[in-house]
Amino acid sequence: MPDKKDDVYGDHISHKFNDELMALKSEFLEMGGLVESQVDRAINALVDNDGHLADEVRATDKKVDQMEIELDEEATLILARRQPTARDLRLVVAVIKMVSDLERVGDEAKKIAKFAIKLSEEGQAPRGYVEVRHIGNHVLGMLHDALDAFARLDSEQALRIMKEDKRVDEEYQAATRTLLTFMMEDTRNISRCMSVMWILRALERVGDHACNIAENVIFMVKGEDVRHTPVEEAEKVVGR
Amino acid sequence: MNTMNSGISAEAENQDEPRAASVAEHKPEDTVIEEGKTVGKPFSDDPKFKLRNVEVFYDQARAIKNISLDIGRNEVIAFIGPSGCGKSTFLRCLNRMNDSIDICRVKGSLALDDHDIYDPKRDVVELRARVGMVFQKPNPFPKSIYDNVAYGPRIHGLANRKSELDDIVENSLRKAGLWEEAKDRLDATATGMSGGQQQRLCIARAIAVSPEVILMDEPCSALDPIATARVEELIAEMSESYTIVIVTHSMQQAARVSHRTAYFHLGHLVEVNETNKVFTSPQHELTESYITGRFG
Amino acid sequence: MTDQRSQAEIVRNSLKRRYRKERRFRLYGLLAISIALASLFTLFADIINKGHTGFIKTTITLDVTLDSGMMYLDDPTDEDQRSMADFMAPIIASLQEHFPTADSASDRRALGSLLGTYAASEVRDLLIDNPDLLNTTQTIELPAHDRVSVYVKHADNPRYTIKLSEQQQRWVDELVEKGVIDTSFNDVLFSRGDSREPANAGVLGAIVGSLLTMLVTLIISFPVGIAAAVYLEEFAPQNKITDFIEVNINNLAAVPSIIFGLLGLAVFIGLFGMPRSVPVVGGLVLALMTLPTIIISSRAAIKSVPPSIREAAEGVGASKMQVVLHHVIPLAMPGMLTGSIIGMAQALGETAPLLLIGMVAFIVDIPDGFFSSATVLPVQIYLWASSSEQGFVELASAGIMVLLTFMMSMNALAIWLRKRLERRW
Repeated sequence: MPDKKDDVYGDHISHKFNDELMALKSEFLEMGGLVESQVDRAINALVDNDGHLADEVRATDKKVDQMEIELDEEATLILARRQPTARDLRLVVAVIKMVSDLERVGDEAKKIAKFAIKLSEEGQAPRGYVEVRHIGNHVLGMLHDALDAFARLDSEQALRIMKEDKRVDEEYQAATRTLLTFMMEDTRNISRCMSVMWILRALERVGDHACNIAENVIFMVKGEDVRHTPVEEAEKVVGR
Repeated sequence: MNTMNSGISAEAENQDEPRAASVAEHKPEDTVIEEGKTVGKPFSDDPKFKLRNVEVFYDQARAIKNISLDIGRNEVIAFIGPSGCGKSTFLRCLNRMNDSIDICRVKGSLALDDHDIYDPKRDVVELRARVGMVFQKPNPFPKSIYDNVAYGPRIHGLANRKSELDDIVENSLRKAGLWEEAKDRLDATATGMSGGQQQRLCIARAIAVSPEVILMDEPCSALDPIATARVEELIAEMSESYTIVIVTHSMQQAARVSHRTAYFHLGHLVEVNETNKVFTSPQHELTESYITGRFG
Repeated sequence: MTDQRSQAEIVRNSLKRRYRKERRFRLYGLLAISIALASLFTLFADIINKGHTGFIKTTITLDVTLDSGMMYLDDPTDEDQRSMADFMAPIIASLQEHFPTADSASDRRALGSLLGTYAASEVRDLLIDNPDLLNTTQTIELPAHDRVSVYVKHADNPRYTIKLSEQQQRWVDELVEKGVIDTSFNDVLFSRGDSREPANAGVLGAIVGSLLTMLVTLIISFPVGIAAAVYLEEFAPQNKITDFIEVNINNLAAVPSIIFGLLGLAVFIGLFGMPRSVPVVGGLVLALMTLPTIIISSRAAIKSVPPSIREAAEGVGASKMQVVLHHVIPLAMPGMLTGSIIGMAQALGETAPLLLIGMVAFIVDIPDGFFSSATVLPVQIYLWASSSEQGFVELASAGIMVLLTFMMSMNALAIWLRKRLERRW
């Protein structure tokens, strides 16, 4: 939990309000940390062919869902009780939206874990794991940075994540092309390669969600909605 | 010295989060406001009131410090700010209600439809007929409901016949949403009504002289939530035909009823902007601190 | 837990002390009120005890034969004859019929002195009005002499000295028994002016004098007082001069009333040459005296009009004048009226300034205008109270009762007006 004095949400006249906002923020970060480790472990389960770990990931997703519900409730209560405005309002609204992003990321991790189990049952690792590892690390970094930007209210870092997303898309496209070629070479691999494709797709989605989180961080800090706008536009907003 | 040092080190450490650092470093109350510099959109394309470099003095004390603002035609503008920030004083300049205070002086140019309000040749009675006012505490005259509404038209000679006066009274009460409740007891004394009804009667009384502008000085602060909702509803309806300036302590109210919001602080006009903007992403640090409940 | 219990105990113990204190406090209050009430009651009882007999007159009803020979009067319309006539003779003759044995000259004188000084003039007035009654026998009600009256009313009261001789007392007893001497309601008190003879003295002159004086006071002090109050409160600029005027008005209210009398004497009578002892001058002096009271109470009344009402009126575009005329004055009126009436009641009871402007003169006639000599109730009471004749003492008390009735009704009027006109906001 961040130190109260240094936090922009910690200097209201109402201490209770401070505590509520602070709790919302720290619980969101906690959920973020959990989701991050879910993705990490799902990738590890896949690469290391560890069905046991994959099972664990699938089980833990329940906890992610539970946290989503709790955070939503807290945010609703703050809206009802405090009628927050400006910065506080933006925090609450952004958290509500980012929570669903995190939950989706959790779902993607679960999906990866599912395919990891499937692949481990089918035996022999197909090609594409290198790409999975690479893109996985990339989006994990993005997710981590997005949460970090949220924690420090750093809009410039958020902007960097938005730009990063393009590169993930490019990598994803390259990886799918490689896999497509591989499938054409040997039709027996199609089933397993499709699984890897799905995993790559999930990772790409994780990147998108990290990007959404970054957009929300910019909204929280700058008060401008940069969704569905070109990155140049967002750059201008952040530069203000 | 100490604070300076820590300021520098904080900046050095968190170079990519200047906002967080700056807010954490000093209290909003200490912010130095540049005089006469208002953030946002203080001017309007079609102004009803054109107010430039307005200053108000109580004896030597400067209560309003160089404020320039346009109030648009058929606009609802809300004045918010902590107690003693000068919003009521400024409001009262608009129909010269400050005249009755001997020590109060007003400087600068204040124009209603391009005519100077404080022109010594200008008749204040005419001005007040055009710029009506509703006060914080419902203040009906201790007379009948009818006489309350009819008072303004009577002293201005707006009706020649009884039937004309009756029409004015009925219309005003209708516009104030009070006709259904009051039509059967027009002769009852106004002081017997509930607080909310009294306030709507005061609005009806202000409307009765068909003003162009209605000034409201915390019109709902003495009312319960239901009565407040009624008055707010009324403001929304009236905004089609009147320019409304409302001073309020309730930020939610300002957010609900106004098109633009002006934030006053220690006699300065700190920020004016579209209400939606002010309440989601205010531009000035002081506005933000006030509306989020950090001081005030 | 034990801590809490002991605390509760402490509170409970202190409660007892507190209740005792409260009871004692209430007792002191009751005591103070009962002392006040007791003294008031004693005062009233004393006045009523002394004064109630003032409302009773003693009369001697006789069948008088208006014999022209006995009176040396042939024509009652002839002024010369009247001045020579002896109207007392038939009355004494009529009395003698009740006491045939008393026929010496001294007895006749003693019998005659049972009647009031104005008995003869009653007969004369009767004859002037009805000359035809000459040489007829008429039943006439005549005032008894003050001494007879005192004897009849206060024979057992040691405070009064009986100044009748033994024989006269016997006569009076006999006449009372026969019903010749009787007591009835003293209508003279309310129908006559002052007189040297208690039996013939009334307060009507003083009441009329008081009313005329009060009317002058009201006409002058009420509008002037309210105008001054309105100006000072609503229009006067806040500066040294206004402050100075304010301080002086407050001081004026504390000036002893006799100073106003001196002022009236010097200005109205000395400088303007107005006549002495007339209601106009009295009214003017009392108006001066009442003004500060009216101004102060009116200003308080104006101040109590809530500023929100003023703002409301100004807000719809009323001018300063309209605000004052339509709202401030009507709302302040109950307070202004109350203050004025209380000021007037004060003026009604005022004696000192009037003594100085000569309203203390002995005036028999009922005043018929603002410029005829008059006296007022409190001065009349003062005059009677300082008189030596026993009959006047009870008249003075009766006069006090009349004055008190006036004052109480004025105060009642003030309360009624306030209740009636008061509005709530």
